[in-house]
Amino acid sequence: MTDQRPVPIDSPGDTVSGGSMAGVVAKVFIFLLVVLGAFQWVGYSITDMTGGEKKASTGKVEIGPEGGEQIFWGKGRCYTCHSLGGRGSAVRGPNLGQFGEKFPEPIGVRAITRAKERSEKTGEEYTRTDYIAESIAKPGAYVVKGYKNEMAVVYAPPISLKLDEIKAVVTYLQSQGGDFDLAAVTEEPGEITERYFGLIAASSAAGGGDPAAGEEVYDDNCSECHMLNEEGGEIGPDLTGIGTKTLKFLADAILEPAKSIPPGFETYELIDKEGRKHIGLKTDETAEEVTITKATGDEVTVAKSDIKTLIIDKNSSVMPADLNEALTVKDYQDLLSYLVTQKPKSEEAK
Amino acid sequence: MILRAHLKGILVGAAAAMAVVVVFAIASPAFAQDANVYRQFLGIDSRKLIWFLAQMHLFFGAFVLGVPLFAVIIEIVGWRNGDQRFDKLAYEFTSLLSVAYATTAAFGGLLAFALFTLYPTFMGYMAGLFKDVMFMYALLFFAETFCLYLYYYGWHWLSAGRPFPMLVRRFFQAIGLAMVVAGAAFFFGLFGLEMRGDTRAFITFLYILPTGIGFLLIKDRKSVHIFIGIMLNVAGTGIMMLANSWAGFMMSPAGVNEAGEATAGLWPIFENILATPIAIHRMLGNLAFGGLVAGSYAAVKFIGAKTAEEKAHYDWMGYIANFVAIAALIPLPFAGYYLGREVYSTSAVMGNNMMGGDFSWTFIIQAILVGSLFLISNYYLWSGMTRIPGAERYYKYIKFILFALIVSFAVWLTPHNLPLSGQEVGEMGGSQYHPTLKYLGLMPAKNAVVNLIILATFFSFILYRRGNRVDVVSIRNQGMAAKVVIPLAGLAAIAMVGQYAYGLLTMEAAELDLPADRTQYFRTVGYLLVFECAMGVVAVVLALRDMGRIGQAIYLASTAFSVVLFLGVYGFVVMEQASPFLRNVAVAQFLQLISCLILVTAIDIFLFRNAKEVGKLQWGRMSIRSQYALLLLTFVITMNMGLMGFIRSGLRTDWHIVGIMRDTSQWAATPSNHTMTQMVSLSVLVFMIGIAFMFWLGTVANAKSEDAE
Repeated sequence: MTDQRPVPIDSPGDTVSGGSMAGVVAKVFIFLLVVLGAFQWVGYSITDMTGGEKKASTGKVEIGPEGGEQIFWGKGRCYTCHSLGGRGSAVRGPNLGQFGEKFPEPIGVRAITRAKERSEKTGEEYTRTDYIAESIAKPGAYVVKGYKNEMAVVYAPPISLKLDEIKAVVTYLQSQGGDFDLAAVTEEPGEITERYFGLIAASSAAGGGDPAAGEEVYDDNCSECHMLNEEGGEIGPDLTGIGTKTLKFLADAILEPAKSIPPGFETYELIDKEGRKHIGLKTDETAEEVTITKATGDEVTVAKSDIKTLIIDKNSSVMPADLNEALTVKDYQDLLSYLVTQKPKSEEAK
Repeated sequence: MILRAHLKGILVGAAAAMAVVVVFAIASPAFAQDANVYRQFLGIDSRKLIWFLAQMHLFFGAFVLGVPLFAVIIEIVGWRNGDQRFDKLAYEFTSLLSVAYATTAAFGGLLAFALFTLYPTFMGYMAGLFKDVMFMYALLFFAETFCLYLYYYGWHWLSAGRPFPMLVRRFFQAIGLAMVVAGAAFFFGLFGLEMRGDTRAFITFLYILPTGIGFLLIKDRKSVHIFIGIMLNVAGTGIMMLANSWAGFMMSPAGVNEAGEATAGLWPIFENILATPIAIHRMLGNLAFGGLVAGSYAAVKFIGAKTAEEKAHYDWMGYIANFVAIAALIPLPFAGYYLGREVYSTSAVMGNNMMGGDFSWTFIIQAILVGSLFLISNYYLWSGMTRIPGAERYYKYIKFILFALIVSFAVWLTPHNLPLSGQEVGEMGGSQYHPTLKYLGLMPAKNAVVNLIILATFFSFILYRRGNRVDVVSIRNQGMAAKVVIPLAGLAAIAMVGQYAYGLLTMEAAELDLPADRTQYFRTVGYLLVFECAMGVVAVVLALRDMGRIGQAIYLASTAFSVVLFLGVYGFVVMEQASPFLRNVAVAQFLQLISCLILVTAIDIFLFRNAKEVGKLQWGRMSIRSQYALLLLTFVITMNMGLMGFIRSGLRTDWHIVGIMRDTSQWAATPSNHTMTQMVSLSVLVFMIGIAFMFWLGTVANAKSEDAE
């Protein structure tokens, strides 16, 4: 703001041409209508150019290319990143149709070549359906050269496709340049496809989280104390194969850890004769002394002769009780999805 | 008669608030997993009805929240300078509020009824979760009503009087001091550490410190009036923050499990990821919007003015309103960047959909509107130079500023991923991006040009300020004020940039999940900030040695080089090698820019204080075209607010609450841009008709009041 104050240019009381206020307001509103008209013209032109108004998806989708097309260009939002030949204009992800020198074959054919690459890389026998199923269930497993590993997990919010909807998309992609194989998606899925469909189903059941993001949440919040597949800390129970537990059990264990403490992981409260209190797991006990391991990992060894009381505190757990505050809903759902997919090795192999 | 009309307004507002409370109270608890129930009223598309009502409530609400923010500042300026004209101007701005306030409440009540009756499951769930917040909202509404009417009707009653006894003053000062100290302790994390940093900053700078300062100011009746004005803003901002927690929760729910049940009390639900970023963005948006709506009032009055005094007055009022709007517009792109960043952090799908999916074209329209705001604001300032004798000396610079603005504007609206048809992509050789334009669409280019736009606008403002001043005044001969304020401004600028430089020089790559060798990128930007601090010191020293203009030029040039050229280009390197660090680069640019504006303005004020003038400003000597520019600014910002609301709300796609409650209604598809422009146009038109009617009512009421006197 400046310190310049209004000083009229003309002598006080001079009249200046101003017109009637009603006329001025009328002119202003005509001006507004012109501006709004231009605004609407822009909106109309863009909509006209980009394929018109969209409608809400209705009802259940049949597994097949037609249903898949509906999902691909609608609820699944695949068109946000992928074009299909000349249809669509997205370029963030690879074009899934035949397009220019970079994409000489549509995905239905291209997937056969990719399946061979995957077979060589992993040692497992991939079919084109396996490749397509994997690229949807675990997009980071194979990233097309020149693109980033940034594909959304479509069975996690906000897209949250159901397994049948994903199956429909798989058939739609199969049908691009080739025949679709419905049986490979529904009745006789291959081992790899079945495994990925299992992952999607488990994740959807857990609220539709993203298992890959859940792994990061796990690493940041849980791995320091818990062992999983022979990696991690030893303060809490080993979580290898935890995916066999019910969702309710897992949810309670995360949000209310004190509710279901497994044997051997009870929280002990030790008060020594000088009044010092130590809370943690009883990780060692000899005839002479007791060792308490705190949540921080610090160990305290107290001679039995110095112990005033040593009791199990059934109302508390060494596991942080504030995870429900620390985790966002997305983190929580991702973590749950990750844990649900942690089946025992033997079961995974099946 | 007038009082009775206003009391009716109070009653309407109070009735609306009570109705909302009653509806909350009788809302049946429903959970997120229940099947959604949707209803219609007279066969109208329920979503469009809610969209319209919410937009109207937000337009009126933004005006009602925005105007008191600057009205009380103008009142303080008048009070400190002993200048009654500022006081009258602040009163005139406040008088625009009284009718708009009741209308805001009425639309709020209507919106609440519509939501509860048309979306009962969704609102039942929200009311169950936010019950306490909603009651607090209603109570704060009463507090705001009380403050507003006391502020407006108590203006003259509290305008004069003897100072309070020393004991009373000391009492209030002690409270104020305690609040300022508590605010500082809270901000620096001595307590309240469980809160997000942005929430803590918001609460400190918008509630605790203003209240503390308000108490410190109390010494007579006028200062009590100012304190009431501050409380009015505190209550208004509080209301906005509470409502934002609902909008934020719908996009980034927290504190609930997958079934939507609360897991850890109300606070994590309230302080969800997007609640505060939305509040910050809305706060600045409201300020700019309030300024421009008030400016449009001044513009219409100017065009229809019958006397020279009227023309001069409304020209001045329009100028102040535009100044307020520009002051808020300058940090607004950064607040938008922060909000966008948090949206990406919440969900990459949402972020991609925002910038490259359903809303990519909408964002291009938004870029055009935002660019227009800056361009038209500059045009208004340049037009204003015609009322300044001597400003002709600076006309020659305008073409360069215009060139910089247009080039920046072009870059600003160039998308990375050009929304082309498949055929057009094919014609480009099947390439994924345009070979050259793709760079202009990336964040480093956007950040560089938005900084250039702001610098260019600031440069226009500096030219405007200097318009009729002949020569600089020796700072050495200006007493203590200059010698204290300039170093203090320099200190603030250096502290702002310096603390961030320290952070970057000590930051480890692991903090951003980057390999250790990427630390070099942090250090480069850190050293650049150290250099910027050194330039700040040089500017202050030169200013104190009567070489202020050279100091300003050096600091401006160094800032422009750093934020536009160096970091504009280096941003691409960072993006390639250490992408997560790009957000820190944007913060570095923002801090340098704001520091530069603060220090250069401080120096400029003293350089030209009491400088010899070519002639007096000839208020009223403005073209009618310039007033239409002011009106166009109002139209554009109103349209832009509607458009941004569409994007923010549309990002949830077919979810009422992302990941928790799906929208299973027949309207669960993202509307087209055409539908958006239709809905926004309708809302803008109805709002403008409403606000014009209210301004007319206010004019009639004031005229009768003056006649009576």
